[in-house]
Amino acid sequence: MIRKFVGAVAAALAVMAGMWLMIAPFALGTQPENADWTDPTATEFFTGLGVAVVGLIGVICFVLAIYEELVVRGLVVVRQRQAEPEPEPAPPAPQASSAELASLLAPLVEALREDLNNPGEHRRNGKASLVGMEDNR
Amino acid sequence: MKAKLGVSALVLLFLAGLWLVAAPFAVGYQPRGAGYVDATVNDLWLGGSIAAVSFVSLVVYAADALRELARRGKHADA
Repeated sequence: MIRKFVGAVAAALAVMAGMWLMIAPFALGTQPENADWTDPTATEFFTGLGVAVVGLIGVICFVLAIYEELVVRGLVVVRQRQAEPEPEPAPPAPQASSAELASLLAPLVEALREDLNNPGEHRRNGKASLVGMEDNR
Repeated sequence: MKAKLGVSALVLLFLAGLWLVAAPFAVGYQPRGAGYVDATVNDLWLGGSIAAVSFVSLVVYAADALRELARRGKHADA
């Protein structure tokens, strides 16, 4: 465990060193501005790039190794992804048969027809006709 | 497996550190007989540090692995 931790720290330091190597020629002023890269610049930049990449790979590998060991020791519990239950199909809505619907709407249709046939007459309860009420809205 | 990859990375870093130490003289941007230029000083410090840190890490890794092997051997004997 401790050896992997030491390796991860060393690799992380190498990443930082690599990044410094990449910017060092420009930070220290050894690379003239507006000129092609000199030999020291190219050497330091590409070496730094390699060091940073290798260091990053090392960090990732050691961290994954530490994680694996923690899982083996039982100090880290891996969460099992629970399979989402499939939604049950909704029960079909009870559909009224066309005969029931017709029987329900029959009084309304009858009332409307009477109302249309007698537009001038008021209903017995004193209210205006249905058609008139709709027109006045 | 992943730890082995990490150890391989440390070995590569050690070699890169050695290269950095040698680069000013191998590439030729350090004039002979003259004082060290800035790039040379930078490379020597960085290269030496990277090589030293990676070497120490490798030694610690090997020592800890050996200690674990010895402990397992003791448990097997008992």
